[in-house]
Amino acid sequence: MQDFLELTVSAAASGCIYGLIALAYLLMIRPTGIINFAVGEWAMVGAFGGYLLLSKFEWPYPLGMAAVLVFMLVIGWLTERIAVRPLVERGAPLLAPILALLGMLVVFREAISVSFAPDPHPVPYALGIQRQSFFIIAVTSVVFIGVWLFFERTIAGKSFEAVAIHRRAAALMGINLSRVTALSFAAGAGAAGLAGLLVSPNVSAHYLMGVPLAIQGFTALVIGGVGRVEGALLGGLLLAFAEQLTVRYAPIPAGYAQGVPLLLLMLFLLLRPTGLLRAK
Amino acid sequence: MSSLLRWLGAALLLAGAAFLLSDYHNDVYRKLLLWVTLALSYNFLFGICGQIAFSHFAFYGIGAYSVVIFLFQFHLPFPLAILLGIALCILFALAVAIPSARLEGFYLALATLALAQLFIVVLNEGGAVTGGPGGLANYKLPEFLGTRIRGPWYTAVIVLLLLGTLAVLWRLDRSWFGRACRAVRDNPEVAAAMGVDVARTKVTAFTLTSALAGIAGMVYAFVDNTVNPPIFGLDNAFLLLFMVIVGGAGRHAGAIIGAALLFLVPFVLSPLIGHHHVLVFGVLVVAAILLQPRGLVGLYDAIRRHP
Amino acid sequence: MPSAAILEVRGLTKRFGGLTAVSSLGFEVREGEILGMIGPNGAGKSTTFNLIAGTYAATQGEVRFAGEQILGLPPHRIAARGVMRTFQHNRPFGGMPVIDNVLVGAHTRFASGLWAVVGGRALREETQRRKRAAELIEFVGLGELPHADVATLSFGQGRLLEIARALAGEPRLLLFDEPAAGLTLAECERLAGIIRGIAARGIAVLLIEHDMHFLLPLAQRVAVLNFGVKIADGLPEQIRNHPAVLEAYLGSHAAA
Repeated sequence: MQDFLELTVSAAASGCIYGLIALAYLLMIRPTGIINFAVGEWAMVGAFGGYLLLSKFEWPYPLGMAAVLVFMLVIGWLTERIAVRPLVERGAPLLAPILALLGMLVVFREAISVSFAPDPHPVPYALGIQRQSFFIIAVTSVVFIGVWLFFERTIAGKSFEAVAIHRRAAALMGINLSRVTALSFAAGAGAAGLAGLLVSPNVSAHYLMGVPLAIQGFTALVIGGVGRVEGALLGGLLLAFAEQLTVRYAPIPAGYAQGVPLLLLMLFLLLRPTGLLRAK
Repeated sequence: MSSLLRWLGAALLLAGAAFLLSDYHNDVYRKLLLWVTLALSYNFLFGICGQIAFSHFAFYGIGAYSVVIFLFQFHLPFPLAILLGIALCILFALAVAIPSARLEGFYLALATLALAQLFIVVLNEGGAVTGGPGGLANYKLPEFLGTRIRGPWYTAVIVLLLLGTLAVLWRLDRSWFGRACRAVRDNPEVAAAMGVDVARTKVTAFTLTSALAGIAGMVYAFVDNTVNPPIFGLDNAFLLLFMVIVGGAGRHAGAIIGAALLFLVPFVLSPLIGHHHVLVFGVLVVAAILLQPRGLVGLYDAIRRHP
Repeated sequence: MPSAAILEVRGLTKRFGGLTAVSSLGFEVREGEILGMIGPNGAGKSTTFNLIAGTYAATQGEVRFAGEQILGLPPHRIAARGVMRTFQHNRPFGGMPVIDNVLVGAHTRFASGLWAVVGGRALREETQRRKRAAELIEFVGLGELPHADVATLSFGQGRLLEIARALAGEPRLLLFDEPAAGLTLAECERLAGIIRGIAARGIAVLLIEHDMHFLLPLAQRVAVLNFGVKIADGLPEQIRNHPAVLEAYLGSHAAA
């Protein structure tokens, strides 16, 4: 029983991480249609931010966390400025910014791998090792409630939705498209960086941590459905439970649990490509 | 007839070069030929059919590992090992492409990203079958008619692989299939209205090019007579994508130039910047997409048109 | 001597949410006939077009082509059966020259499989099709441009390419989506000649058009749509003076 409870809490915490990454994808896909593979690397950058500020410079946790978040917003905004906006303004096909972002993925990863030693870098827990899972769940809940309220209750959120539904029509309504795009990338980087910071005490900051997170986050997004914010979290939780149960009960090496996202991804694409929650 | 002579000439020239090179340079030359081969087939999928996939090196690895495992662990006859290896590639390719390619969007990219990641895990955790992180070694190319192809002669085999791959892709490109691929890339909705089965075209292009990567992998298995996981990872898959973008996506010449350039640059640059050339490549790709989306071949065309 | 109806539409209905775009529409097109369909903007012409071509799924109804129900088939299957179309806003494939664009239209007519392509046995068919495509390019009047980059074509030439590409599919029914839109008067006259030539080959033509001055002299029969409902059909001269048409179509025009 104790065992099962622990599994539940740890799966819920991983699910929240995947949910945050899925949210990062969603924030950018909805208004722009651009799928940004670099979200995993953003999480990695967030984790290294945590290492630098919290482990190396020993800043107090709340201050360090806030600084990482702000830094990530800037990174997201810069990424959009460099690799997305010039292409969108030129009217390039959707593939172009996606490829440019793939280039940025490698730039982020190699920049970190050049700046830090290739071994794992420790990041401290927020409130101690036992409470980290609960901390992750609490922070994720706050983020999702905030994002949900933003989309449902504010004019700015509605304008995001309008852009998601029809870019040209939204532009005619006087919505500033490039501002929405910039904001969505900043917010996406914020969510991804937060995920990286939260997960790093358990796995340590490492320059190769990005790609698995990018895969898990996207799988969560497909499971939950691209249309709804809650879907990202639901998909993340479902994936995390599937993974943990596989590791616990299936007689296979632990590494093979990395096959779970691929399997779920294929299943959902075959059987329910719209995800669990359909767009309203 | 003249085109046959041209191919023959290219084969003699490319293979002949191998006999002039030292052992070390022969090794570099073989790797270069293999990269170009992979870039050509990947260009068909990415540049011509417009599909992003990260599994090209995974299929290269499936080909390499399967032929070694079938030959030296299951002791199957050589032709059967090759056929089974190709069948395995086709099977995996269909399993990934059928669910993800029938949908609009970039699902194939993510699915192949997950496949490539998983493949490395399976290689590392595969125990005696895959040899784990150390891979498989201490095997030799089976004898054929009483002789074993070695040295520059094996380089000639790789030249044949490259030219064979190019010939297949060349013919595909200049057929209804190649045009359907380009139509799917440019505008899937209009392609469908013209009678092109978009999902089927994508799945076929992915499966075909993945099988070509698998065949190249089988040839690679006997270049170093060892296969181990790092070669088949995502880093190389990204590098391959970058080669095609920098050279010029959608053009055979672009794939060749991009592969040759990005393969050879580290040899020149590493004394200057160590192993940080991947960072340089990342910057190069972002710059290429922003400034010259048609790559070096496009740049050449532009210069020739407006000197 | 009325020839057989190649396209029969019965009770075709399409609802988008609460909005009924097309309501119990029925008409038919015979081989070698030019049927014009007119109506003001938002009358349901384009929706009808997309329902027949398979781009939209119908709410209910029946679309029979050569006696077989084609409603619910994906667009590429409908094209393979011999229903080809043009696009109102020219949509060429940018990455290939004119002749290759036309050859994409012939996609479903290639008999050789992938093995034949790889083995080189498809080369003869490719040469034949290429010749045929060049003839079609000639037919629409782009004779000197088979190897031109599509980006260099004028708007009018782009429209002609649309037609050659659709003809390459050897259609028995050709759907034109507002073919005169954006063309000069001279181009319109040339286009009308081409469309007559197509019908003279025995191909059924369904023409959706906003411009009555272009359509009425060209069409053999005309159906008028308004608010998704067919309000009249008949010979062009009957339509010209039909009170309901004047009211719905010209009335709304005058108001606009």
